[in-house]
Amino acid sequence: MLFFSYFKDLVGREVTVELKNDLAIRGTLHSVDQYLNIKLENTRVVDQDKYPHMLSVRNCFIRGSVVRYVQLPPEGVDIELLHDATRREARGG
Amino acid sequence: MSWAGPEDIYLSTSLASYLDKKLLVLLRDGRKLLGILRSFDQFANAVLEEACERVIVGELYCDIPLGLYIIRGENVVLIGELDLEKEELPPHMTRVSAAEIKRAQKAEREASDLKGTMRKRMEFLDLD
Repeated sequence: MLFFSYFKDLVGREVTVELKNDLAIRGTLHSVDQYLNIKLENTRVVDQDKYPHMLSVRNCFIRGSVVRYVQLPPEGVDIELLHDATRREARGG
Repeated sequence: MSWAGPEDIYLSTSLASYLDKKLLVLLRDGRKLLGILRSFDQFANAVLEEACERVIVGELYCDIPLGLYIIRGENVVLIGELDLEKEELPPHMTRVSAAEIKRAQKAEREASDLKGTMRKRMEFLDLD
């Protein structure tokens, strides 16, 4: 549940989601669920010329199972907090 | 458990906010389906009405009608809501017939096969 909670705190931030098929999409994180499915708003594809069919997609749902990376804004990463939460979770609390 | 109220739908990852809208569904094999979302579940299994496949080869494209489609969720990569105000494709792309797109697809496949065999023959050169 750690990363689910973590992503929930990132809602509203600008992220780039890179998929397993190499498609990279940038947009505002709208919501995330337990499977780490992601909904993005105001999306744009990083390499637009290569993916012309994505031109008019403004909002999208991405299935969690096809995500390779999520690039986060640097200010959205609190290593200290994650570190503590990881230990707490490992202890079973 | 209670059903999410209409206001929650727009805050959650649920596909409910996409119901009855025209969507683009990207599949794991690279296919692009267009259609109206009529039903879905937690696995992203989805029912598309008036579905069609958009085949794009270079600057050419074609929408091949498929009818009613049920997509198994595991094949879904992305479901995108289409902005009806915006052009779906860049203006330089040309719509062609199904027969023409099939021909273009075949030509593209043959070209890439040829590239593959050429590469194989040159493998002893250790290009990478």
